[in-house]
Amino acid sequence: MSAVIQALLIGILVGALYSLVALGFGLIMGVMRFVNIAHGSFIIIGGYIAYWLFTLWGIDPYLSIPAVMVCMFVLGLLLYRLTLAPLLKYPRAEMRMDKSLLITFGVTWVLDNAVTLIWTPDTRSVITSYSGSTIGIFGARVGLVGLTGLIIAVLIAVFLHLLLTRTYFGKHVRAATEDSGAAALSGVNVQRTYLISCGLAAALGGVAGVVIVSSYSIAPSAGLSWLLTAMVVIVLAGEGNITAILPAGLILGVLQSMSTLVVSPAYQQPISLIIFILVLLLRPNGLFAHGGTDGR
Amino acid sequence: MGGPMADNRMKAYAGAAVLALLVFLPLVFDLGSRVMNVMVTLFIYVILAQGWNVIGGYTGQVNLGIVAFFGVSTMVTHFLWKAGLPIYLAISAGTLSAVVLAVLIGLPTLRLRGMYFAVGTLALAQAAQTIVGNIFTRQVSMPGSFSAQYSLSPRYYLGLALACASMGVVYLVARSKVGLAMVALRDDEEAARVTGVRVFRYKVTALMISAALAGLAGGLYGYVRLSFWQISSVFSPSWTFDALLSVVVGGAGTLFGPVVGSVFLVVLSEVFANTLGQAHLIIFGFVFILVVLFLPQGLMGGVDLLQRQKTSLRPETERESEAHRPGPP
Repeated sequence: MSAVIQALLIGILVGALYSLVALGFGLIMGVMRFVNIAHGSFIIIGGYIAYWLFTLWGIDPYLSIPAVMVCMFVLGLLLYRLTLAPLLKYPRAEMRMDKSLLITFGVTWVLDNAVTLIWTPDTRSVITSYSGSTIGIFGARVGLVGLTGLIIAVLIAVFLHLLLTRTYFGKHVRAATEDSGAAALSGVNVQRTYLISCGLAAALGGVAGVVIVSSYSIAPSAGLSWLLTAMVVIVLAGEGNITAILPAGLILGVLQSMSTLVVSPAYQQPISLIIFILVLLLRPNGLFAHGGTDGR
Repeated sequence: MGGPMADNRMKAYAGAAVLALLVFLPLVFDLGSRVMNVMVTLFIYVILAQGWNVIGGYTGQVNLGIVAFFGVSTMVTHFLWKAGLPIYLAISAGTLSAVVLAVLIGLPTLRLRGMYFAVGTLALAQAAQTIVGNIFTRQVSMPGSFSAQYSLSPRYYLGLALACASMGVVYLVARSKVGLAMVALRDDEEAARVTGVRVFRYKVTALMISAALAGLAGGLYGYVRLSFWQISSVFSPSWTFDALLSVVVGGAGTLFGPVVGSVFLVVLSEVFANTLGQAHLIIFGFVFILVVLFLPQGLMGGVDLLQRQKTSLRPETERESEAHRPGPP
C-alpha cells in the first residue's frame, strides 16, 4: 500500500512538472496554431541560465526564476519577430502550422548546437544544500525539490488562468485564438498579442527548465524528450484547451508513475506513447473536450 | 512548356554525366578510404532523404520519425546477415519490415491532421530508441571473419545502385496517379477529398513508399557498419533531422532537391567539421531557416527562380503566388 501511495505522490510531482513543461508549448499552439518544436530547447536554455547563475554567482535556482523568465521572454520575442511573424503571410492555418513546424525545427537545430557549443554535451544539474532533503506525507517520502516544483507548477497554472480570464490581455488572447480576423476588426492588436504570448511561452519554458535542472539534470540533447512530453500532455488536454493542461499533466505523471509498479521504469516513455496513441484513437480532441467542437 | 522541358533535358544530361563519373572514377583512380566512406555515407543520406521527400515533400506530411523505419531495417539486416542470409536478401527483409512498420504506424496517426502525425512519428521513434536501448545493452557486431573481408568497393556500388534506384522510384511515383494524388492532398486536402481523392489511402501508400526507401537506406547502413557500440544509435533522431534538413534545403517535392541537400550536408560537414567544429551545424541551421522563409522550393527552386527571371516573365505558379500574397495579420 505504501508503495502505491509513494508512486501516486511521485506521479503527482512528476505530473506537475509535465504540465509546467507543456504550458508554454500549449500557449503557442492554442493562441497562434503554431507548433513550436523549439520549446524543448527553450526549457534546456532556461535550465542552463539557472545553472550558470548558480555556479558563477551562487544564486539559488528558485530565486533566479525571475531573471530566467526575463531572459527567456526576450528570446521568445526574438523567435516571434524573426521566424514566426513572417509565416502570417500564409493564408491557410494548415500551411502556417506545417511551416512553423519546419522553421522552429531549424531554430531547435541552431539553439541545440549553440547550447552544445557553450555548455558542452555533458549533463548538468544544480545541487543545493536542500537537494537531498525529503518530507514525510502519509508514510511516504517526498523530495523537497520536487514539492517546490509542484507548488511552482500550480502557481504558474493559476497565474496563467487568471491572466487569460481576468485581464484585458487575456481577453485579447482569447479573441485572437477564436478568430484572429474578427479580433483584428474589433480593435485587438493581434500582432502584439501574438508577440507577447510567444515571449510568455518562452518564459514559461524557462521556468520549467529551472525546475528540471534543480530536481533532475539537463543536457543539450534532452530538449527533444521534454518536447515530446509537452506534446503528449497537449494531446491529452486537447488542442487549445489551456486550462486542461494542469490536470492532463497530472494524469500522465500518475499513470507513468503507477506503471513503474508493474513494469521496469526504463519503459516510462513507451508507456506515455501508448497513452498518446490510445487518446488519439479514442478521444482525438483530448480527455477534457465537451463534444461538439472540432478542435480547429 | 518548352522551357521546363529543355530544363529537364539539361538536368538529365547533367545527371548522366555525374552518374558516369561516379561509376568509373573509383575504377580508374584509387580514391582512398576516406573519400569512399564519405561517398557511401552520401548514398545513404540520398536514399533516406528521398524517403523523407516522398512523405514530407510530395505528400506534405511532416514525418519526424522516419528513423524508425531506417533503424528497424538496419537491425533486421544486421541480424539476418549475421544469421547467414546473403546480404541482398537481408536488406530486402529489412526493407519489408520497414514497410510493415509503416502500415502499423500509419493507420492510427495518418487519420489525424495537423501536428499529430509529426508528434506520433516522433514519439514512436523515440520510444523505439528507448526500447532497443533497454534490450541491447551491449555492443552488437558481426563476427570477425566479416571484418577481415571488409571492402568498401561493393558497398560503394551497392550504395550507388540503390541511390539511383531511389531516384527512379521517386521519379516514377511523382508521375503516377499516386504521385498526383499525393501532391493534390498536400496542396489542399479538403479540395482533394471533395474531388474524390481517397486521401487516407494515398497517405498510407505514400508512407509505405517512404518507409521502403528509408528501409533501403537502413539496410545499406547495416551492410556498411559491421559493429554498433550501442545499436539504439540507429534510432537516433539526428537521422531524421539530417534527412529533413537535406530535403528542405535542397527542395522538398523535387527529384534532385534531396540530392543537392545531401551533398550540401555530407560534403560540407566533411569539409567544415575539422575547421569549424560544432559551429558548422549552426550555420546549416541558419541556412535551413532562411530557405524555409525565403525559398519555399529549396535551393533547386532557387535555381529555377533565377532561370525564370532570366528567360522570361512567365506567370508564377499557383503555389508560389499563394505564398507571396500578403495574408491577414
